Amino acid sequence: MTPTLKNILCIEDEHFISELYVRALTKAGYEVDVEMDGQKGLDRAKSNQYDIILLDLMIPTITGIEVLRHLRDKSETPKLKARIIITTNLEQRQDIREDIESQADGYLVKASITPHELVDFLSQLEPNTP
Amino acid sequence: MNFYDKFLRHISTHILTVLIILAVVPAGVALLVRHYLPVEGVLLFVVAIGLVGALVAQRSIIERTTEPVKALWDVIQFVSPKSTQTAAPKLDILHSGREMIAVMANQVYQLAQSVDHAKDLRGAKDTSLHASFIANSLPLPLVVLDKDESIVFANKAALEYLARPADEVEGNNVYSIFDFSFSDDDTFDTWLKRSKHKSVSTSRTWERVRLGLVDQANNKQFDLAAHYNKSNPFGYETVLVLFDHTETYGQDDQSLGFIALTVHELRTPLTLLRGYIEVFKEEIGPKLAPDLQEFMQKMEVSGQQLSAFVDNILNVVKVQDNQLELHLKQENWNEVLDHVVSDLSLRTEVRGITIKTDIASDLPPVAVDRYSIYEVLSNLVDNAVKYSGTAKQIFISASVNKEGMVETSVKDFGVGIDSSILPHIFDKFYRDHHNRAKVGGTGLGLYLCQAIVKAHHGSIFVRSKVGQGSTFFFTVVPYHKLSDELKANAKNGITREAHGWIKNHSYYKR
Repeated sequence: MTPTLKNILCIEDEHFISELYVRALTKAGYEVDVEMDGQKGLDRAKSNQYDIILLDLMIPTITGIEVLRHLRDKSETPKLKARIIITTNLEQRQDIREDIESQADGYLVKASITPHELVDFLSQLEPNTP
Repeated sequence: MNFYDKFLRHISTHILTVLIILAVVPAGVALLVRHYLPVEGVLLFVVAIGLVGALVAQRSIIERTTEPVKALWDVIQFVSPKSTQTAAPKLDILHSGREMIAVMANQVYQLAQSVDHAKDLRGAKDTSLHASFIANSLPLPLVVLDKDESIVFANKAALEYLARPADEVEGNNVYSIFDFSFSDDDTFDTWLKRSKHKSVSTSRTWERVRLGLVDQANNKQFDLAAHYNKSNPFGYETVLVLFDHTETYGQDDQSLGFIALTVHELRTPLTLLRGYIEVFKEEIGPKLAPDLQEFMQKMEVSGQQLSAFVDNILNVVKVQDNQLELHLKQENWNEVLDHVVSDLSLRTEVRGITIKTDIASDLPPVAVDRYSIYEVLSNLVDNAVKYSGTAKQIFISASVNKEGMVETSVKDFGVGIDSSILPHIFDKFYRDHHNRAKVGGTGLGLYLCQAIVKAHHGSIFVRSKVGQGSTFFFTVVPYHKLSDELKANAKNGITREAHGWIKNHSYYKR
C-alpha cells in the first residue's frame, strides 16, 4: 500500500542508521532521500518536495535545532508542507526538549524504536495544512 | 474645651475673685472708717488692709496654681528609681486641673513602664551577646528565626556559607534566603507548620538537603537539624543548624552523571543492533531452525532490555535534576495494560515465564502518561522475571480499590524479599545485599517507579514473603476524579514533574 505522505528526507549523519531506515521505509512504499549534513539537508528541505523530514539533532555544519529553526521561519520557508520528525539519541534539558517538541511534529528516541516502529509511527501522520 | 483651657479658666476665676476681694473689701472698709479717721489715716489704713489682703491672696494664688504641678512632681518622684513610696500619689484631691494631671500622670507611668521594658531588653541583649559569641564560635552554619520565619540571627559560619553580609540576611524571610530542596515530601516548611500548630518544643533532622541559593546554581548539599520552641522569651522560635556534605553527596551525583554520559553513548550502537536484529528476524527468521529462531528472539529481547536500561538510567538522572516531566492524558487502562502485556510477554517468554492477567473489564479511564507508566510496568515485570527463581508465572491484575483509585499489581512467585529490607526497597541505589551477588541490577528501577507513580499522584507499595514471592501494587487516578479546571487547562495533557527533589516553599516560583 502506498502511503499518503510518501516523500521523505532523512537528515542523518550516521550512515548505518540511515541505511536501516531507508531499507524499512522503501519496503513500506516510501521514497527516501538522505542528507548527512545540516546545511545540505536544509537546502534540500527548502525545495519543499518532501512530505516528511526526519531530522537528527547532532549533525555536521549546522545542528538539527538550527535546521528546525530555519524551516519554521515563515520568512524563509513560508509554505513548508513537510511534517518534521526529530529522530535523535540525544537527551535534552527539559526546557530545550519542550522548545524543540513545540516546533516539531514528533520527537523519537532512535534507541527506543526499531525501523519498523518508525514506519508505524510515520504511517499515522496526517498531512500538513500549511 | 481641653484640659489645659479648663485649668486656665479655673485659675483665672481664682485670681479674679481675689482681685475683687482686694479691691472691694478695702474700699468698703475705707468708706466705713472715713468718718472716724483723717484722710491720711484712711489712706494708710487702706494700704495696710491691701498689703495684708495681698499677702493672704498671694499664698492662696500660689497654692492653687502650683497644686497640679506639685501633683505631677509627686507622680514623677513616685516612678523614679530611688522612690521608696509604695502607693501612687492621690490625684482626686486636686482642686483644679484634675483630669489633665490624671492624663499626664498616666503618660508618665506609661513612659516609666517602657523604660523598664527597654531596660529588660538591654539585659536580654547582654545575654544574647554571650549567646552570639558562642554561636559565632560554632564552626557550623546556625540560623535563628522568629515567629514570622524571619531570620533574627545568622552566625558567622552561616554568613560565610551563604557568602552574604549580615544585613542582607538578618531581617529577611528564611525562604527568601535559603532555597531548600528535600528528597521527600516532609520538608522543613511542612514540619515547621505542623510544629507551630501542635508542639511547644520539638526537634528534627533531614538528610541530603539541597540548597539552591536563590540566583545561584544548586551547589550545596547538607544535613539539616532544626529545633522549634514556641515559648522562647526573646521570640527566637526556631533554630537551624546545617552540616555540610556537599563533597560526599556530590560524589554520588557525579558518578550518576558519569554513568548517564557513558550510557548515552550506548544509544547509537543500540539503535543499530535493534535495527539489524529486526531485519534479520524479518528476512531470515522464518527460514531458521526453531532453536535459532529462539536465539533470534532472545537477541531481540536483550536489545529491548538494554534499551529500557539506558532509558532507566537517563530518566533517573532527569528525576535527580527535577527534569522529568510527564504529560497525563485520559487513557483507557485496559488498552494500556493489554498493550504493555503483549509487549512484555516477549521478554518473559524467552525465560519460559508466562504472564497471566486478571484485569477488571469495567475500569474507568485513567489520567496517565503512557510512556512513563509503561516504564513502571516494564520495570516491575522485569523485576518479577529477575526474581522469579524457578517459578514460571507472573500475575498482573487491575481493579478499582476502596479509595476509588485504579490499582494494578504485578505478582511473582519467586524468592521474595526479606521484611528487614522492605522499607528501603524504593530508595535510590538500594539493593538487597542477599541478592546482590546472585542477581544483577542498579538499584534504580524501583526508585524511578516510585518517582513516576508519585508524579501521577498515585502510590506504590509492596507485599512480600521470603520463598513465596512478591506483589508490587501501584495506583493511578481515574480521569473523572481530576478537577474540571485541571482538565480544561490541559490541552496537551496535564503536566507533572517527577521530583527527585521537593522544593521547600513556594516563596520563589520557578
